[in-house]
Amino acid sequence: MSAASNAVVFTGDDPSDEMTLLDILDHVLNKGVVLRGNIIISLAGVDLVYLGLDVILTSVETALKHVNAAALSPQK
Amino acid sequence: MAGQLTSERRVLYLYGITEGRPRKLPVLIGVDRFSPVEAIDCDGVYCWVSRVSALDFENDLASNMENLDWLAETSVAHQRVIAAISRLTDILPTRFGTVFRTEDSLCRHIAKRVKGLKQDFVRIKGADEWGVKVFVIQPAALPVPRARSGRDYLQAKAAMLPARKPKSLPREDMLQFEKALADVATESASAGNVSRGQRGLAFQTSLLVKRTKRAKLESVLETFARDWARERRIECTGPWPPYSFVSRPDDKVRAK
Repeated sequence: MSAASNAVVFTGDDPSDEMTLLDILDHVLNKGVVLRGNIIISLAGVDLVYLGLDVILTSVETALKHVNAAALSPQK
Repeated sequence: MAGQLTSERRVLYLYGITEGRPRKLPVLIGVDRFSPVEAIDCDGVYCWVSRVSALDFENDLASNMENLDWLAETSVAHQRVIAAISRLTDILPTRFGTVFRTEDSLCRHIAKRVKGLKQDFVRIKGADEWGVKVFVIQPAALPVPRARSGRDYLQAKAAMLPARKPKSLPREDMLQFEKALADVATESASAGNVSRGQRGLAFQTSLLVKRTKRAKLESVLETFARDWARERRIECTGPWPPYSFVSRPDDKVRAK
């Protein structure tokens, strides 16, 4: 899809585009044809992955807050 | 990497299934960044696989998935392979981590499902999946007040971040938006177990859109984005292989 528009943020049209990791995980972990292969990932396992991601994202957010706090703290 | 040891046992990692096979096969590298991707004829459909380490993708798959670095790299590689094939022919993408021990076991599983798969090929023919998200735009942030303590400061900063769960969007606006999308899309599906936590995200959906209607989708999104310019931002990702339109409600993945 055209990337020329300023109004809508389009990503993913170009093969070299990097779709966001969150979107990729949403698709590959949670969607797609399910076949009973020899290896079967339990739904509980996938939920743990989501939980782990949430922890990581929260940690990143917290870390950024601290970085900003340090950068913006009143100068002596 | 363990996957590069040629003497170890290998299993078939399945990326997706196509009805036909391109005359010239693309040169693709699999999820282990080592094994070439090949197409195997199973009961009249083609299964795109690569032969990966049994250690990494059978014995240790569950623990590897808890390693977020490994999961990120491998899921991106999985998506890249499927996206490359989807540029050549329609594909039913397989869920991450589908592994078979032998070609025989793969073909036996396919044979059991081939009728449903053929119906899915009709459903997704000439169509791509698109992800549409609407974010609430936050008003311009005020300067952070001078804080008396670190705690005050962090609380003030936190208040400036977009809300994790913004207020729901006006019902009338959303009905119009969803109707406009429904006029363009063949189907829609819920989206976003992982990304639903994004700040400011108020609405998201996955759409199955015929390639002939792609320009129309673009036009609809741009029209709403212009109307909502000060209040909301629309993000669109795609084209995706039709991940959200090939699974069925009874497709339960079960622990061994």
